[in-house]
Amino acid sequence: MLALFTALIAILAVVVAVTAAGIIVVRVTRRVREAKRTRLAAAPRKALLAFVADNGEEGGDDLVAIPDDAWRAAEPHALALLGKLRGEAHLGLVSVFLRRGTARAALGQLRSRSPIKRARAAQVLGDLEVRRAVPDLCQLLTDRRGEVRVVAVRALGRIGDPAAAWRIISSLDQPDPIPALLASHTLAQLGLGAEVTLSAALDHPQARVRAVCLDALGLLGATGSVDRVSRILREDTHLDVRVAAAVNLGKLGTRSALEPLTHALRESRPTALRAAAARALGDVGAPAAVPTLVNLLGDDAFQVAHEAAHALRRIGPAGLEALRDVVTAEQSRAEAGGAGAHAQRSTAACHAEEALALAGVLSDERVGAAR
Amino acid sequence: MSTILLVEDDPDIRHLVSYRLGKGGLDVIAVPDGISALREVRTRPPDLVLLDVRMPRMSGIEVCRELRAGPLPADVPIIMLTARSRPQDLEQGYAAGATDYVVKPFSPRELLERVEAALARVAR
Repeated sequence: MLALFTALIAILAVVVAVTAAGIIVVRVTRRVREAKRTRLAAAPRKALLAFVADNGEEGGDDLVAIPDDAWRAAEPHALALLGKLRGEAHLGLVSVFLRRGTARAALGQLRSRSPIKRARAAQVLGDLEVRRAVPDLCQLLTDRRGEVRVVAVRALGRIGDPAAAWRIISSLDQPDPIPALLASHTLAQLGLGAEVTLSAALDHPQARVRAVCLDALGLLGATGSVDRVSRILREDTHLDVRVAAAVNLGKLGTRSALEPLTHALRESRPTALRAAAARALGDVGAPAAVPTLVNLLGDDAFQVAHEAAHALRRIGPAGLEALRDVVTAEQSRAEAGGAGAHAQRSTAACHAEEALALAGVLSDERVGAAR
Repeated sequence: MSTILLVEDDPDIRHLVSYRLGKGGLDVIAVPDGISALREVRTRPPDLVLLDVRMPRMSGIEVCRELRAGPLPADVPIIMLTARSRPQDLEQGYAAGATDYVVKPFSPRELLERVEAALARVAR
């Protein structure tokens, strides 16, 4: 029995010793490899920083001539720099990557079995803004790994080719699609060349897709689509989509948005839609909306009255004057009505006072910032 | 020669900006965080501070406020380096005492021009 126990202890001790030795070997190997990489990267990194600091004017040939192992060690720094620079320095660095065949290699890696390699390749192609990679990146929009799909859509946004618009929109109509905010920002990055596709996608059967396209049109400032967005505001069967239409009509900010937004304020409409429309009128900023918004200050729905007051504030002088008029009228009414009238202040005056107070605070902050 | 205090936690950007400004004839003291910046300002007051907004331990906005509250003369410009370009972000920086902003990603050439312009305004 004692012999068996001793043997077990001995085996355990050997296992512990081997594990400890293994850990030490792995750590030492990692450190040695890291030190080697740092040593190899030192000179190229210095040359790289000098190159971009000189706006990519001198030293490009030297960077292309760096041996592959040293370049591989410095490449993560170079890729990180790409996203931090713009102008000639960025273009210079991109040209070095292209001359070294980085884009070609990344295109090959897009079909790698490793999701990490696929995602990394997509990011590199996006950072280098390689337009010919767009069809391959579009294929990654249906990748089985969500992380790869997200990196691919970001890369497409950086490249900014409107030809990718429809593929991005189609990818929203699948289980576990990319996040809506990322999709709308990416679609907006494709520029006004994507407006026709986005506008056409407003007839998509999926409400989520229509809402994303509305957000993208708003971010783009696609004023040519105001009529179509107005139609969605009037006719869409989905409340969230109609709210998105109202919000984005406000962002588009054209005078032709006033009529459909005013229409959406009718009492028969859902409160969320009316509140969004009131807010959007403030975003449009047209003094012509002041009378409509003043009428809403006493609305039974708190959210609608609140948004109307702040929309008046955002309209500027004409809106602020209207808010002051409401407060003054209330004070006159109170003075005429005696002590009881003071206690029963109208909802309209309360909302107006709150909006005016915020306007005062923001104005003080702006004065402080200008000093 | 004007002295620039560069406060930036990213070593690549620190190296890049130091190199570019140094080549432009400026003397650059580069530190990686706000605490070191506050210490440096007390020992060797700079002619201009170039301050990253997002940093560990102390944000650029906090450093800016601290600098304006005491150790830095009021006429010394502070240029913020930031990836955030929304109006409210810029207003926050100006309210803290910044004089200008350079938005990342940035062009090294433009950065040097902005620094030189800020120094020229002080010299006038």
